[in-house]
Amino acid sequence: MTQRRRVAITGLGLVTPVGNDAPTTWESLLAGRSGVGPIRGFDASGFSTRIGGEVKNFAGPSGDVNKKLLKFALPSHRFALAAAEEALRDAGIRPESATAHRWGLSVGAGMMGVMFDEIKTIHSHAGLNGEFNPDGFLDREFPGDPVAFCRSQTNAGLAVLTRQFGIEGYATAVHTACASGGQALGTALKVMRRGLVDFVLAGGYDSMLNPIGLSAFCLLGALSTDNDAPERASRPFDATRNGMVLAEGAGFLVLEDWEAACRRGAPIYAELAGDGNSLSAYRITDSHPSGDGPIQSMRQALADAGLSPRDVDYVNAHGTSTPMNDRSECAALHAVMSDHVGQVAVSSTKSCMGHLIAAAGAVEAAVCALAIRHGVAPVNANYVQPDPNCAVNLVREKSKPMAIRVAISNSLGFGGSNSTLAFRHPQSVPRP
Amino acid sequence: MSSSRQVVITGCGAVCGSGLSPESIWDAVCQGRSAIKEIRSWDARRWPVRLAGEVTDVDNRTLVEDRKLHKSVLRTDLFGLYAAGAAIQRSGISAYRETLPADAVPLFNERSGVLAGSGGGNYKNQYEFFPLLTEAADDMERFGRELGTTVNPMWLLRILPNNVVCHVGIRHGFKGTNACITNQSVGGLMAVMEAAAAIVTSEADRAIAVGHDTPVEPETLFNYHRLGLISADAVRPFDQARSGTVFGEGAAAVMLETMDDAKARGATILGEVLGSGCTGEAGGVVELRADGDGLSRAIQNALRAAGISPDDVGMVVAHGNGVPNSDASEARALRRVFGDRLPPVTAFKWSVGHLIAAAGMLDLVLALYALRDGLVPGIATLNSLDPEFVPFPASPLPQQPRSGIALILCRGFGGMSVALLIRGFPSASSR
Repeated sequence: MTQRRRVAITGLGLVTPVGNDAPTTWESLLAGRSGVGPIRGFDASGFSTRIGGEVKNFAGPSGDVNKKLLKFALPSHRFALAAAEEALRDAGIRPESATAHRWGLSVGAGMMGVMFDEIKTIHSHAGLNGEFNPDGFLDREFPGDPVAFCRSQTNAGLAVLTRQFGIEGYATAVHTACASGGQALGTALKVMRRGLVDFVLAGGYDSMLNPIGLSAFCLLGALSTDNDAPERASRPFDATRNGMVLAEGAGFLVLEDWEAACRRGAPIYAELAGDGNSLSAYRITDSHPSGDGPIQSMRQALADAGLSPRDVDYVNAHGTSTPMNDRSECAALHAVMSDHVGQVAVSSTKSCMGHLIAAAGAVEAAVCALAIRHGVAPVNANYVQPDPNCAVNLVREKSKPMAIRVAISNSLGFGGSNSTLAFRHPQSVPRP
Repeated sequence: MSSSRQVVITGCGAVCGSGLSPESIWDAVCQGRSAIKEIRSWDARRWPVRLAGEVTDVDNRTLVEDRKLHKSVLRTDLFGLYAAGAAIQRSGISAYRETLPADAVPLFNERSGVLAGSGGGNYKNQYEFFPLLTEAADDMERFGRELGTTVNPMWLLRILPNNVVCHVGIRHGFKGTNACITNQSVGGLMAVMEAAAAIVTSEADRAIAVGHDTPVEPETLFNYHRLGLISADAVRPFDQARSGTVFGEGAAAVMLETMDDAKARGATILGEVLGSGCTGEAGGVVELRADGDGLSRAIQNALRAAGISPDDVGMVVAHGNGVPNSDASEARALRRVFGDRLPPVTAFKWSVGHLIAAAGMLDLVLALYALRDGLVPGIATLNSLDPEFVPFPASPLPQQPRSGIALILCRGFGGMSVALLIRGFPSASSR
């Protein structure tokens, strides 16, 4: 094979609980500011968990957005439209009629497509006594809305994004729960290397902060119930951690050919240098206590990037703040980094943002790119009480200025899919 | 693909309304039989459209032995696990793994990928909240409070779109690269595309690719009908009287590995993946360009990736879903690429229905049999070819492929198109 194509990150955009754009989000993460608070989007007073990482004061996507198209967009798709627009603007390049075929789209898409009000409408026509009655759809009064149905399709967000930005090349939507965003970036990297396209808009979007989504996680007992201390509820790796915090948002990155980006003089955040992708094949929710699964994804990402564990300066951990995940992830870090583990700065930015589920991996990829550009490892907020099972070199108390040559980001999903992405500083480590 | 790593298919599996094996589904197609009947999973007598290719009279134990899974995953997942299990079984890959020294097994498993095209969210699962909604009336506080006593605590895990990826991994020990593609109808064929690419680029040495879906449910049927996409009588691909599509349900899967590995372990090779293409049209969720622009580019990309010319293609398995504008734009896309030298064209949805995320995968499995038998089955519901397409080599009668290479087409919402080229084994030329 000929020399493998290098892939540059030249733009990024974020809509998160700690900021409605990338600069604001980054500033909040550096300051360790939490975006977690009481849920305001609906009455959550009866739920065991009443806090979440909501996107706040979101005015909708900026730029020239077709009003009709917006009707086809779920709330999470609107986050995606805004984050993608910011990323394209940041990159200073966007699809045009001459290049539309050479642009791809790869998204980690949230799994929920039906709004709570729509479920209530169906309930009132086809299930009022609690039992589902299919003929309810045939009621003359049933206000069936084909647009809402289109919006609920698994690739509706993909359709809205390709339409808005005029992307006509390879396009995919993936969903492996919490690994979705990372796998979408990994797919984008592979598609670039295969030469199918020259640019990819890659990212993730999700919002499960609605009555059904919150129910789903409450039922599983996966969420922190620290309703009285929302800002402290997400505390990855702390000995007192007691569950994750559900959050929402979107993150997008513009990927392009390295040489082409250099030729047009585009500032490069980082090289997306490697992808590792594994399946734990263990249990649906738990990861293996030994770290089996994430161990393979981290090793593969490093091997794919031509790097060794010693090259890694910063790990943006999956760090969900559940007892099991954090422990297993630390075991994996020890296995992969061995005696270098103390030299690697580790933080989970979920400590501030909460868990953005299908968007998490994409948002955290953007965080790694920002960490490399600014030379700062963002703080692992809320870490007070060490857990001997999580003995890694956490970025404690405040964010840490440091030269970051290589960063990696883990995303580990329900269902056992694990994704690790490797990022390299644009001026560092000449290609082997 | 100029790489030395050729990707071959060494096992396949399928389930749909026509049967529980690729052979039985293929026989139905060849004999002009259709699985499309009146819907049985609910009383649809009052419905304006009430046909589907349902899998009936098959109990869950037939699909998946392990009873625990029957409650912890959805029926679409059971179909997926069944088809994937059958493809893995037939490839002999698990039996081969048992012959390896114990210390070689972990690496073997880590080099084994799992890629699924999943229909993702169905709607019925949301109705499990109906009793709670009834009880709470409009009182959200009560909704939250009563939640735990009304809804299955495992609700979320049961409806994960990636359950097939998860459980194929657990059941078969595959631990390598993985993806769950939720790109509506093209997801299944994209799983093959990505699995083949993973093998070509050495990310994996082998992979199972599976597509599964169960669109036959009231909410989906109702809305497709409202969008004007459903036929009340039959799927008639390319026919003048075509009036829409009809849902089917089920799953299909193929086991992929390198040609060298397959030969070295003496596996039966069913076909070779030559190349693929994937494009969008940027039109929105249901819009399609009349000229078939996206599909024609997907075909051209696949031909380029395979390094072959249109004349090398022996037959086309069209998407042919029977929806008027979809078939018309598909015929135009084929014309654009092949000009007046189109190979025989067929489509299978008249027999099995439209399996949405599993559709392209089932078409691929059936294409393997078409190449094996040197037979392009007729489209039994094709009475009168749309004059706009003439000359167009689709027929109610069987035809012969002009070479051992088949082009499989798949289209979905979002203006997505995927084209895949395969060579049958033993190839027609070598027989």
